[in-house]
Amino acid sequence: MLSIFKTIPSHMDYKGQKLAEQIFQGIILISAVIGFVFGLFVEQFGWTVYIVLAGFAVSCVLTLPPWPMYRKNPLSWQPPLPEMSSEPSQKPQETTKKKKHK
Amino acid sequence: MNTVLSRANSLFAFSLSVMAALTFGCFVTTAFKDRRVPVDIHVSRVMLKNVDDFTGPRERSALGFVTFDLSADILAFFDWNVKQLFIYLSAEYTTRSNALNQVVLWDKIVLRGESTKLNLRDMKSKYFFFDDGNGLRANKNITLTLSWNVVPNAGILPLVAGSGHVSLPFPDMYESTKSY
Repeated sequence: MLSIFKTIPSHMDYKGQKLAEQIFQGIILISAVIGFVFGLFVEQFGWTVYIVLAGFAVSCVLTLPPWPMYRKNPLSWQPPLPEMSSEPSQKPQETTKKKKHK
Repeated sequence: MNTVLSRANSLFAFSLSVMAALTFGCFVTTAFKDRRVPVDIHVSRVMLKNVDDFTGPRERSALGFVTFDLSADILAFFDWNVKQLFIYLSAEYTTRSNALNQVVLWDKIVLRGESTKLNLRDMKSKYFFFDDGNGLRANKNITLTLSWNVVPNAGILPLVAGSGHVSLPFPDMYESTKSY
């Protein structure tokens, strides 16, 4: 069953990852401040927890799936070398090097 | 942060750290609050018996029966860091054998959301008011105090003594126990 989830692509590029981290940290901090003030006003700590959980859910939806806004700066790979039968030893090294970059 | 799992991991860990900081903030806002509420206690009847105490020494000990009224308004108590209150009524007195005796007569748990006006009339004590010995007879000064334990959401549990207390003398003679 897990193999199905592995086939869904979920990668982001580096700028996208930074953007995602900023987004969820900002959302959770803002919901924490709002929740703290609201709970202090209503005199119930339960409301603070609910507001932070709502912020958590919103940032889950915004940052967990790989939206297109996180894939705006893809890495520019080198174009693949053409197939040449005279250099069999260098080709596998280069292709394995490219495969390790995620 | 490349896979969903690592993003979910860092998101969840950050949320938990923020929740811990908020809980600490909740504790700080109520840590230094003065938690005293005026309380009105009135005792309507006192009866004293001399019975066998099977859990104590073999002679007959004094058993007191106190019927009391209690009224207090504890709405000011329930701020956002209070989960429940444990209220208890205790009696303090001095005898010849002990310098200080404290006996809990009655207690109640008040949860958050229940009615906060305590207006109890003619309440009987919940626990036995036994004295080890006969120190209750003709005791001039027995003080009944209402105290409470505040159970918070986060932080320390303060033990507060109410500001109302009642002192009363106990009768001089034992009532004879009726047996049917």
